[in-house]
Amino acid sequence: MSVVSAHEAPAPAITLGGVIRAVGFIGLGAIGVTVGLSEVLARAPADTIDFGPPLIAPSIHFPLGTDVLGRDMLSETLHALAVTVTNAGLAAIVVVVAGGLAGFIAARLPYRIGFVLRGIAGILGAIPALLLAILFIGLASRGLAPLAAGLAVAPLGFTRAFDRARALGQSRHAEFARATGISPGALLRRDLTYEFRDSFLSIAARALAAVTIVLSTVSFLGYGATPPHRDLGLMIAAARDVYFDAWWTAAVPAAALALFILCARLAAGLDEGERA
Amino acid sequence: MWRFGLRRAGRFALGLLGAILMAAVVAAQAAPPGKGGVSHFIGTVLSRLGEFVRFDFGSSAITAASAAQEVAQRLPATLELVAAGALVAALIGIPLGIVLSIGRASRAAAPLIQIVAAAPVFCAALALLWLSVQVLHWDAQLQGAPDLWSALASGHGAAIRDAFRLLALPALTVGAAGAAGVQLALRRAANESRDAPYRRGLRMMGLTPFEVDRLYLVPQVLAGVLANLGEIALSLFSAAAVAEWVFGWPGAAVLFLKSVALHDWSVVALVLFAFAAITLFAEFVGSLGARALAGIEANP
Amino acid sequence: MSGHLLTVTELTVTRPGAKRPELDRLSLAVDAGETLVILGEAGCGKEALMRVLAGAAERDEIVDGTLQFGDASPERAVKFPKPAIRMSYLPGPFEQPLNRHVSALSQLTRIVARKLDAPRASAQEELGLALGRLSGAPKLIDLDKPPAELSPEMQAWGLFAAAYAQNPELLLADHALAGLAPGHARALTRALLAEQARLGFAILYAAMNAETPVWLKGRLIVMRHGKVVEEGPAERLATSQAHSYTQTLFKAQPAPLSDKPQPRASTRGQPVIQAYRIEMAKPSPRRARDDLTFELRRGASLALIGDEGSGRHTLARILLGLDRAPSGRVVFDAVDIGVLANNMMARLRRRVAFVAGADDMLDPRMTIWDTVAEPLRTHLDLPRHVVASYRDVALKRVGLASLPGNRVVASLSAFDKRRLQVARAIVSAPVLAVIDEPLRGLDAFAQAVMRDLLKNFRTQEGPAFLVITSDITVALALAEDAMIMKDSRVIERGPLADILRAPKTVYTASLIEASAPVKNSTLSPAAPGS
Repeated sequence: MSVVSAHEAPAPAITLGGVIRAVGFIGLGAIGVTVGLSEVLARAPADTIDFGPPLIAPSIHFPLGTDVLGRDMLSETLHALAVTVTNAGLAAIVVVVAGGLAGFIAARLPYRIGFVLRGIAGILGAIPALLLAILFIGLASRGLAPLAAGLAVAPLGFTRAFDRARALGQSRHAEFARATGISPGALLRRDLTYEFRDSFLSIAARALAAVTIVLSTVSFLGYGATPPHRDLGLMIAAARDVYFDAWWTAAVPAAALALFILCARLAAGLDEGERA
Repeated sequence: MWRFGLRRAGRFALGLLGAILMAAVVAAQAAPPGKGGVSHFIGTVLSRLGEFVRFDFGSSAITAASAAQEVAQRLPATLELVAAGALVAALIGIPLGIVLSIGRASRAAAPLIQIVAAAPVFCAALALLWLSVQVLHWDAQLQGAPDLWSALASGHGAAIRDAFRLLALPALTVGAAGAAGVQLALRRAANESRDAPYRRGLRMMGLTPFEVDRLYLVPQVLAGVLANLGEIALSLFSAAAVAEWVFGWPGAAVLFLKSVALHDWSVVALVLFAFAAITLFAEFVGSLGARALAGIEANP
Repeated sequence: MSGHLLTVTELTVTRPGAKRPELDRLSLAVDAGETLVILGEAGCGKEALMRVLAGAAERDEIVDGTLQFGDASPERAVKFPKPAIRMSYLPGPFEQPLNRHVSALSQLTRIVARKLDAPRASAQEELGLALGRLSGAPKLIDLDKPPAELSPEMQAWGLFAAAYAQNPELLLADHALAGLAPGHARALTRALLAEQARLGFAILYAAMNAETPVWLKGRLIVMRHGKVVEEGPAERLATSQAHSYTQTLFKAQPAPLSDKPQPRASTRGQPVIQAYRIEMAKPSPRRARDDLTFELRRGASLALIGDEGSGRHTLARILLGLDRAPSGRVVFDAVDIGVLANNMMARLRRRVAFVAGADDMLDPRMTIWDTVAEPLRTHLDLPRHVVASYRDVALKRVGLASLPGNRVVASLSAFDKRRLQVARAIVSAPVLAVIDEPLRGLDAFAQAVMRDLLKNFRTQEGPAFLVITSDITVALALAEDAMIMKDSRVIERGPLADILRAPKTVYTASLIEASAPVKNSTLSPAAPGS
């Protein structure tokens, strides 16, 4: 408690964080539009070999050059970006539902059930999300990579949401509400409404950044996307043998990947959140 | 503190039990499929658990050697890499975190760090490799884990140089990922502590700003970092997996990747258990350290 | 040579972009051994003066004017002045001046050691001696805990002792007694006056309630918007004020204690709470059985009076079914709550409202409108426009109608949050209102407004009032009956007027004495160690 007067009332203001988040969302929006128009913008269908001579450096005819199989890097990057964004979007939904939402609800379940669920999430969270995603893919199939990545990142979101919900449930204002007859269900609704209304976009953007890193790394290591539906991670992996001489084969998809992750992180409000 | 330590030790033990259970579930995949569905699977898991209790971790489906032996051979290389990475992470992350938490730099820090950290670890590893080849003219084919101690003991300049070259890129890759984690934890802790009312209160009561920060702020910030030790360990192991793959480092993480691809579940289970146990231990030690340093209770 | 201990000349403190200076050409002088109280609302300039004198001006503040300490030559005021006199700063515990995770004793010892330039062992000895001189203070060893584990009152004793241990010539007391339970505040004031008499230091006290200057006597400066509006001896200003602002400040003080019975509410309804032979603690060989039977009817008001830890909250929680009593029965609104399942108990508690003197009682994420409308929306199936009209009426009654309804609670001042609680209570149409230290931490104006709002709430809605307080003046304003509580026991009960007229226990008498407001105050320094 602090000692304050009747006339003290700070006014809300536009913050640097708010501006940066807006920039992030604008960036994500622009990427979304690009992905939506990728079939139109790309000059060649995905995985079109011999579209041009192999390993042509960026030029007027091939703005982003060609790769070792003569595929147009611009077209390939657009297609790969579409695959990456789509998969990451699906995985982010899994993270939000199986992580944030489930964690929040689990915290309000009877203590023992909540404790067990929190324990399971804690143990899964003690394994790097990357390895967990690879394990899930190994146990299931590569086609389920987005689900695997989502489930691998979810434990950290789960524990974070669980702890937050527990703290909220034990706060003075929650006790005050319970003491005036607000039911646990109404309290959960209230918390979900305010937590997700205020931070849904942040949570989703943070999850998007985390799963993008996991998914692209999984693909880079050879456990994710498969041709012809190559994603950016797989494009970079394919460039590994030639990129010392043809830098653009790795740099272009890497730049696209970094830009997407950066936009997601900026949209998340400068909180690095779940590491992957 | 004793009560806190016991509580934490109990939590650590429970975590280990859970990790063993998880390893048993994974190892149960190695058993041939049988009739009985869920009950058969539970039976297999329980029998695996029983074997684990007797320190029998099964054998590799590929080499037929003991899984424990396979992992024991490769784990030290991963731990060496993680330790070297942790050293780099501390050397880069702590000064970076301090600089970026102070004064005006703190305002610019968050967006700047986001931009730098937006590249996934494998992109950073490839970039380092490219720079080493193009700028330093290192041999890209020179890969593997160095025997640094033997090289140092031999006293041969070329051998020492090669050993350091072999170590430098993987350690830098892992260290950069760890540094991102360290500086983040540091900045978070500094942010939480910066506006603490005691800083002004103690100053007004007569302590110098340096004294207040040295005695109370720095321990609090360091405790904040320690409280996130588990998270930092996670980022180090994750980066180690990528670095081992890119730089041909013969560690346990790359063994894990290959074992998953070849469905060698006994080895996968043991590597997972080892990583989980180390992370849980880091969390345990970190929470004790945080409590001892500044009375902060991490994840109460 | 000025002859004063401290001379402040034309001191101005400004913040870039602010509408007006925080401190506007303030000039004042403090003599050795003198007491000077600066009175005003938060932001009147007293905080800025304290910051400058204690060498903790904000980075963006611009400081101008001159300061002269003792016989030293006057110097241009800077952000971090180096006083030529021994000065100690005494903050209030609610400002959280100590690190909450480190032993309070170690921090206070370090401060004393730094100020005396002495080894820590002898500083701790000095601290122990200072603490030993204070009547009612805890032992030194009791302070060897993090402040998070100490009550504000315990911390206050430590802070006061640390200030005296520095053997100051000038004591800068910054709201040092604000928010403390009256009994402790009075005891600390006595100790302060005794130490001043013994050590001869001057006191510069920043206060927000008119009560403190009268307790401390001495000279009073009333400030507003960074300027002095009135100055004079505290005792004179307490009875006759020239400036209208000073008059308002003093009028906002609670009325003098009176032993005339409060007029009882004309309509007394059905019993809301009936407690039969309830016990707050399990009987033990060392503790005799001590049960409690009483009832509280609609329209009536009962005050549970006692210090922190006296069992007031335990009793309230038992009465509301939040905790179970070791034995006994509680009937709430004609329902025995002992046999109710949790969800049924929750339904019953819909008719309970709370107004508490803490800033974290309302969800900081909720908007003003949602906070007030939530009980209506959750408990009743009303059309939106009806909910909105009830909500607006309640907000108007508490004076918050002018604030944007979508503003979140976190952005509100403590006073606004307190009024919002009243608005929420109003729409709940409760049969029972639990009023828990409703005025704690508010300045005089806010306290006066809150008192009126709660009285109005009681008159119009007519719920039973269960008032939890350590301040007799609060009880007197809001209740007619009282139970005096100590060590989880009711040591005295009955009509408040009777208790005031003839207290049966020493503890009750001390509570009454501690809460005796301005007019009745005859505070004199206690003998050291008494």
